[in-house]
Amino acid sequence: MLELILQALYSGLLAGGYYAMIALGLALVFGTMRIINLAHGELVLLAAYVAFEMERSFGWTPLASIPVALVVVGLTALVIYLLIGRIRQDRELNSLILTFGIAIVLTNLILMIWSADIRSTSNSWFMDGVVLGDTLFSMRGEVIFCVIGVLLLAATYWWLNHTWQGRALRAVASNRDAAKLMGVNPARIEALSFLVSGVLATFAGVAVYTASVVFPAVGHNLTIKAFVITVLAGMGSVPGVLLGAVLIGVGETLTTTLAKPSLQELTGMVIFLLILFLRPSGLFGRKGMVKK
Amino acid sequence: MLELDAITMRFGGLTALHAMSLSVAEGETLGLVGPNGAGKTTLFNVISGVYAPSGGTIRFGGQDVGALPQWKRARVGIGRTFQIPQPMRELTVRENLRVAQRFGAGKEDPAALDEILDLLGLAHKQHADAATSLALTEQKALEVGKALAVRPRLLMLDEVLGGLEMATKRTFARTLETVRARFGLTMVIIEHDIETIKALCPRVVVLNFGQLIADGTPEAVFNDPQVIRSYTGDTPA
Repeated sequence: MLELILQALYSGLLAGGYYAMIALGLALVFGTMRIINLAHGELVLLAAYVAFEMERSFGWTPLASIPVALVVVGLTALVIYLLIGRIRQDRELNSLILTFGIAIVLTNLILMIWSADIRSTSNSWFMDGVVLGDTLFSMRGEVIFCVIGVLLLAATYWWLNHTWQGRALRAVASNRDAAKLMGVNPARIEALSFLVSGVLATFAGVAVYTASVVFPAVGHNLTIKAFVITVLAGMGSVPGVLLGAVLIGVGETLTTTLAKPSLQELTGMVIFLLILFLRPSGLFGRKGMVKK
Repeated sequence: MLELDAITMRFGGLTALHAMSLSVAEGETLGLVGPNGAGKTTLFNVISGVYAPSGGTIRFGGQDVGALPQWKRARVGIGRTFQIPQPMRELTVRENLRVAQRFGAGKEDPAALDEILDLLGLAHKQHADAATSLALTEQKALEVGKALAVRPRLLMLDEVLGGLEMATKRTFARTLETVRARFGLTMVIIEHDIETIKALCPRVVVLNFGQLIADGTPEAVFNDPQVIRSYTGDTPA
């Protein structure tokens, strides 16, 4: 029994790594623009399908397809930003409707291009088992993308705190009007946050394709997962996103191991509601900012 | 340095500024006074680009800045503070100033930041969290510091002394005078305390119902019957 629990904790930790990648992009955009990008899961999904297409057409490994996916998803994220920029009134509310519509369009485009079939990598190298300490088992792809996820989070944290773009992004997130009077061009910073969000979505999408399965309707679930983790973290907190993602990952795997797989999604929601009940502003939350 | 020509600002049916014209010379310290709702902050908002005026032109240093967005006006040298301090709450005190300097002034100058922090009495709080660690006077000082870090030629202070105790207000006013002399600034100050205005501003402009009703030395302006009536509640003829 102890071995099973340890295995569940380990698998949950690995899942947390790529859940964090999915959520951080959403958290960044929310932190800077107060916009919940309901098409974020579809951006993740788009990256997954680009990896699938590169593998099917050219035999590329998922890792090799990342540069192509970066271009496709980055450009799509910028188009979403430009469309949001056209909103003149009640941007926070109207962007919900807009990004929900974009999510539907993207889902259907993916459906038209790649059909409703379930896809996963055929590259067995990523599915090979990696055994840790004789007892803990995982797929190689899970370990690789968990490590990439943690590295990306660390890089984002560093970028936010030690670069001018990062500081400007935090300034805009803190107080958009005051930032403008300090010479910061918020439009450029917001576009940048969407672009970084697209980069994170790309890695997350390739991770999902490698370590799990994808189909057109899964984008919606990914958005919900990202949103739950973002709120759990305390809107916009990078360490909070990692902790929230690991909590959800571990909670899900423990439920699958100790109870039923069908209760997995419910566990995430219970953790979410419980933490919001105890700490309404989230684990690291103050008032919805991009934080250190 | 600053020339406003027939600036009008309407919000729906309400005209907050009526064809206002005003010039501020380089190096001048101008006091902007008037009852609540007279249009003082609206005027600051128009000059700094928060509002696009319904009519009129704004020239700064000979350049028409009316079409520039707020962040570009900061970069050409128009600095301002808000009535309610607006710190970047997720940044430290020094980071607030660094961002303002990097983006507003276009370059980093740690020595200049040290000097601003020293002048404003914030050096000991420079690594503190701007959201939670500052008393009201320090928040006001940070507000001035952010505006100074942009390296403005024109500094507009919106009730920066408001809410302070009299003794603190006097000290802060002396600091502002030091800052003005040190950086060779042109200043426009909105302030309700007449003694402070008299101490800082050789020239005072009075607004009432969005109109400029007096312009002159503090002595002349504060003895003007029309100005006295504006404070006692009479509407203009």
